[in-house]
Amino acid sequence: MAAKGVSGTRMAKWLVSGPPLLYLLVFFAAPALIMVLASVRSPGEFGGLAPLVDESGRLDLNTESYVRLFTESVYLQVFVKSAWYALLTTLACLALAYPLATLIAKSPKKHRDLLLLLVILPFWSNFLIRIYAWMIILGPNAALARMVNGVLAWFGAGPVPLLFSAFAVLTCLVYVHLPFMVLPLYANLEKHDQALLDAAQDLGANAWHRFWRITFPLSLPGVYAGSALVFIPALGIFAIPDILGGPDDTLIGNLIKQQFLETRDWPFGSVLSIMLTVAALLLAGIAAWVGRRGAAGAARA
Amino acid sequence: MNVRALAAAVLAIAAFATAPVYAKDQLHLYNWNNYIAPETIKRFEGVCQCEVVQTYYSDNEELLAKLAAGAKGYDVLVPTSNAVQALIRGGQLKPLDKTAIPNIKNVNPAYLNTPFDPGNQYSVPYAMSTTILGYNDEKMKELGLPTDTWAVIFDPKYLEKVKGRVTVLDSANELFAAALKYLGYSANDVDPKHWDEAAAAIRKAKPYWAAFNASSYIKELTVGNIWLVHGYSNDIFQANLDAQAAGRKFHILQGVPKEGAVLAVDNMVIHKAAPRPDLALRFINFMLDGRNSAELTNLIGSGNPNLDAMKYIKPELTKLPAVFPPKDLQAKLEQLKDLTVTQRRLRNKLWTEIKASK
Amino acid sequence: MRRRSSWLWVAALAAYAFLYVPLIIVVVYSFNDSRLNAEWVGFTLDWYRKLAANDDMLAAAGNSLLIAFTASLVSTVLGTMAGVALHRYRLRLLPILVLAPIAIPEILMGVSLLIFFVLLNFTLGLVSVALAHIAFCIGFVAIVVRARLAGMDESLTEAARDCGATPARAFRHVTLPLIMPGVVAGALMAFTLSIDDFVITFFTAGAGTVTLPLLIYSMIKISVTPEVNAVSTLLMLLTLLLIVVAAKLSPTLLRSDRET
Repeated sequence: MAAKGVSGTRMAKWLVSGPPLLYLLVFFAAPALIMVLASVRSPGEFGGLAPLVDESGRLDLNTESYVRLFTESVYLQVFVKSAWYALLTTLACLALAYPLATLIAKSPKKHRDLLLLLVILPFWSNFLIRIYAWMIILGPNAALARMVNGVLAWFGAGPVPLLFSAFAVLTCLVYVHLPFMVLPLYANLEKHDQALLDAAQDLGANAWHRFWRITFPLSLPGVYAGSALVFIPALGIFAIPDILGGPDDTLIGNLIKQQFLETRDWPFGSVLSIMLTVAALLLAGIAAWVGRRGAAGAARA
Repeated sequence: MNVRALAAAVLAIAAFATAPVYAKDQLHLYNWNNYIAPETIKRFEGVCQCEVVQTYYSDNEELLAKLAAGAKGYDVLVPTSNAVQALIRGGQLKPLDKTAIPNIKNVNPAYLNTPFDPGNQYSVPYAMSTTILGYNDEKMKELGLPTDTWAVIFDPKYLEKVKGRVTVLDSANELFAAALKYLGYSANDVDPKHWDEAAAAIRKAKPYWAAFNASSYIKELTVGNIWLVHGYSNDIFQANLDAQAAGRKFHILQGVPKEGAVLAVDNMVIHKAAPRPDLALRFINFMLDGRNSAELTNLIGSGNPNLDAMKYIKPELTKLPAVFPPKDLQAKLEQLKDLTVTQRRLRNKLWTEIKASK
Repeated sequence: MRRRSSWLWVAALAAYAFLYVPLIIVVVYSFNDSRLNAEWVGFTLDWYRKLAANDDMLAAAGNSLLIAFTASLVSTVLGTMAGVALHRYRLRLLPILVLAPIAIPEILMGVSLLIFFVLLNFTLGLVSVALAHIAFCIGFVAIVVRARLAGMDESLTEAARDCGATPARAFRHVTLPLIMPGVVAGALMAFTLSIDDFVITFFTAGAGTVTLPLLIYSMIKISVTPEVNAVSTLLMLLTLLLIVVAAKLSPTLLRSDRET
């Protein structure tokens, strides 16, 4: 039985991990490597990349773009700002998504799928149209702005623009990423055993205790999954600052887009992208490591 | 079971959808959206007994990036002059067979034989626009601000009165050009010292601007949230039409700065790997006919380099200086030239610093 | 049945309101008698009429739906496999390959996929777009499925194996029903990502391929008219209908309350 089990497991491992691995190697890793190589090439004079072998027959490879990244501090500055925005977005999404996911998970079974669909339904309309809807909501003459500025006026403060500001960017970032926090949280919360919580209540634990000591630790995998699926994409976003941002709201995603478009400096765009990807993967790795320790701790408790 | 049936159905549909359709002759036009009147397309399809398949881009750079990465399948492209320059130099275009486009004689000679394409070997002008000021006439009159100088968006003494109600284009090329003109230099000036001065002027004005915006500023102008913009003449023309349609009391007018402005001429070119260069040439010749050319101008208020088209264009449009600049203004309008790699990098560094600064 | 705390209801309803206020504006403005999406002028059905006659926009919507259904189907299958593999086995390459497409800026992926397809002389079209979408959707599905599996009781699966079930049967009859909510959540995410994607689609689309986001984004500089609101509203309703119908037709597949 043991021998069959071992080779059976090996084969099962390749059968299960093989197809996605193969697909990603072909349609992700190979193209990505092309661009990683591009980071050490020179930009084409009129766009694109310069030929790999220049006129004198030598390989045209250099690390100019990497040097630029580390010597011109403005890029790192922008990256830090983007990380900050992404963090705020993730925390806000978590705060909004947790009650929502809990409600759906606790609903009667026949309602759950519908409630879940209702969460994601708005996101099947076009992105741009939803952003434009936010421009209407946040416009200077709309109800919300007038209310906020009215309150501020009471305190003697001047009017604050809601649109074309960091507030608008963050609100939309949260809005756009919310389902990606709700869905993983729901998938995890759904399997929590209500009996465990009932037993705890019977033993005298109050609502906060039940949440903090039982529900939250058990939901951590969902929290980490949702956070990864919000934080990482939010790091690279550019469309929202482009449309709703103020003059100061430039994020690393905008800079990367600029390198590929207006500046036509693909090598530098590639370097910025690599740095962004590596940073995102590192942060995800650290979070996962912390999560594993936390889960082990919770298991011991 | 149901999943498998569903999957099979989807794959079958996908196979059908991607099977190339050989039935009709097709001309693939890669163009800006809303940059050709639907009637014109229909008329051409009738004339050539072919189908015009349109795909769109919203920025020259998107077109350039896609072609630089090797995309094929397009016949006719409509890039702006500096992009034409990049495409020609990059060997991406097919030379035009002049014998197939006799209507080229209709084009105003002032727009032919440019430094970008001497002898028009690869391109013919299609439509034009200028990058100017757009403003809410009521508000500007109320605040007593001038509307014929770049100073109104760069000089703090004017900006104070419109703080938070001004947007500028989110384009390094356009904004630097405007700043250079404001400082009295040429829009194509490449002296790094002058660029530093322009960057300083932009940073000084930035705290007063509401946003760098290339897309939704028309809307905000029309609604009255924004009172002054740095924008394209077509867009500003459209904003006024929208404002009138919405019953507003103010007008959105075009302000041509006396220091001069950027002129953007869009051209028709043929991609080097065009599947149907014959249809492409027929299309270009068709669009050089005055009547067809005029339809776009009447639709969106774009400038028109075609002399034969003038008689078909609505008279109120021919009077707008931003659309049909008079001789004295023409001298001050400049088409942007493409930059070298080193220049592009320097400009990007300055632009990033501007955007990241407080 | 314990009484659910009222603050939970309030917070959840607030979240739903946050999600739906912009959507209500989108739908309401599709009836707005003004070219701009900026303020209410009056009621009209014109935009829906224009949409019915707008072959280009309808074709683009159809393309988007087709690509989204295909891409979400394939990426859900591959992503579920990846999620299970990540949970069960110690793998070194797959975790990175699954997370990296989420982290990599879309414009880099788009340009690199275009170069890749050109190198292979692969004709661009709907298929190239679908292939690209699948690549970035797999990761989302895998992460959700893995989160669902985390901490899950493997003893049920082991028990099935001990009773003589092959790994395939154990998966299909034991594991899969248990992870189904995760799979469904992942599929919904993949569909959403695909139907709204712009950047990667722009670069991998062929000379005749127009999807709805491509069409709408190209309108960004002129004006995104309420016709777009109309097509968005209809697309949402159509998708909802298709999914409800699919769920009714395969009740055993999607229901998350399956008894094992």
